[in-house]
Amino acid sequence: MLSNIRKSLLMLLAATGVGFLFRYFELSEANIIMVYILAVLIIAMITTHQIYSLVSSFISVIVFNFFFTEPRYTLTAYKKDYPITFIIMFIAAFLTGSLAVRLKNQAKKSEEAALLAQKEQLRANLLRSISHDLRTPLTAISGNASNLLSNGEKFDAETKHQLYLDIYENALWLINIVENLLAVTKIEKGKMTLKCSTELMEEIVSEALQHVDKDKAQHNITVQFEEEFILAKIDAGLIIQVIVNIVDNAIKYTQKDSHIEISVGKKENKVLVTISDDGPGIPDGEKEHIFDMFYTGRNVADSKRSLGLGLFLCKSIIEAHECEIRVENHIPHGTEFQFTLPIGEVTLSE
Amino acid sequence: MNKTLVLVVEDDAPVRNLITTTLKAHDYRFLKAENGENAILGTASHNPDVILLDLGLPDIDGVEVIKRIRTWSNVPIIIISARSEDCDKIEALDAGADDYLTKPFSVEELLARLRVTERRLAYMQNGQVTGAVFTNGALKIDYAAGCAYMQEKELHLTPIEYKLLCLLSKNIGKVLTHTYITQQIWGHSWENDVASLRVFMATLRKKLEKESGTVQYIQTHIGVGYRMMKVE
Repeated sequence: MLSNIRKSLLMLLAATGVGFLFRYFELSEANIIMVYILAVLIIAMITTHQIYSLVSSFISVIVFNFFFTEPRYTLTAYKKDYPITFIIMFIAAFLTGSLAVRLKNQAKKSEEAALLAQKEQLRANLLRSISHDLRTPLTAISGNASNLLSNGEKFDAETKHQLYLDIYENALWLINIVENLLAVTKIEKGKMTLKCSTELMEEIVSEALQHVDKDKAQHNITVQFEEEFILAKIDAGLIIQVIVNIVDNAIKYTQKDSHIEISVGKKENKVLVTISDDGPGIPDGEKEHIFDMFYTGRNVADSKRSLGLGLFLCKSIIEAHECEIRVENHIPHGTEFQFTLPIGEVTLSE
Repeated sequence: MNKTLVLVVEDDAPVRNLITTTLKAHDYRFLKAENGENAILGTASHNPDVILLDLGLPDIDGVEVIKRIRTWSNVPIIIISARSEDCDKIEALDAGADDYLTKPFSVEELLARLRVTERRLAYMQNGQVTGAVFTNGALKIDYAAGCAYMQEKELHLTPIEYKLLCLLSKNIGKVLTHTYITQQIWGHSWENDVASLRVFMATLRKKLEKESGTVQYIQTHIGVGYRMMKVE
């Protein structure tokens, strides 16, 4: 409001200044009128409401009358045709102003429409990809269950065990997907709604490790804290999901007995989390794409299928915390993910 | 034969079947209720040892069911909630529920929660909680002397750590929410209190674990609260 008034006054002042310059060079009054109309046009463009250009049109007529018509520095005018000039000047200024405002509103609307379309596109892509990828496990579950229902007695114990196992594992995979989908639903207008509180990183990491893939027993996972009691101001559920997704990836893409190391420290007033593995690493060409939605790198066997949502979510979540995530090569070989988190502070209550 | 009687309150038939089949397979006795009114009636007439209560019931809100049951009974209540009901979970714990399970849960998880509750029940019946000296595994608290021991060695606790340990021990087996704990310790529950609580819990746990090794006495429930586990 105040800045709008300031902008308007500044423009009118500038127009008056130019007007004096024109008079000094003995240019005609018509030019000065044009300068005021131009000023009102600019005011309409840079202020947020039409009222400012309306009032400015009115003021510009008064000011023009005061400074530039005979007798100067009074609000009276000698020439008989001045009233007509004033009315036309007012109408012209006001109309240009209104047109500019309308133009601006239209531009804003089309911008909003484009954003909405983009969001819809994102949703549509997501739905398509999900319904496609959910079919495989659902087929396995319903098919195996139906076989057991109708021909259960014909199978030997070993076959039955395999069928039960397939149902169980496919259902677990669906559970994992639902966790990620829940996080995706929190993305609104490209922004995420966070429920932040001050959390102890030790608790977050140990909770996350309880949720990683059941194959973790075949890998050596170590956790290291550079100092005691590192606090971060984060949405606990979402950050746990980030750690789970990265560690699950590390488990999925490295051989048995690989080492996965999680370390938490502080750097430049942020919490820095590093998760590295000594697997085959990610080729340089793929690094820039791995955070894209639906990107599934390398040739993954069907049994290790992926939605290509995990790392996209990690990036969205970290960016919603106004922090960064990146991927590097681990020396001598392997992958290293690094992300920062806002540091948390506490003054201990007594 | 396991004598524990479990009241299963769940309106969704497949999940109810899953729970009752699991209970049957592990020799629990059980009763079923598919809405809140029947749950309250069942509790009053059969006096179950444990209640498994789904929060999303068709007639009465699960939290309301807990409040009504708590007016006359201290029976352990384990709530079952879907992930989207995160706040309900905390509300239910504050209303008097003892523990929670989040859907989707595994059969092992369900059985583990029941075992924790059974152990707690046995403990309560022995009157060990109300006595002047509390023992849990290698942990001993002498309430009268205001001292805590682990493996017969005295623990050097700050006043707040000691208060926390007492609060947890008096509610052994029960999940205490952040709000409840901070209210009990500081009389209010500001954001800074909850952050402080995390640090005090971490130092307390370190002191316990230094003497006890790998045995976990205090369990963390991210976003919910803490609980002292019954250790054999």
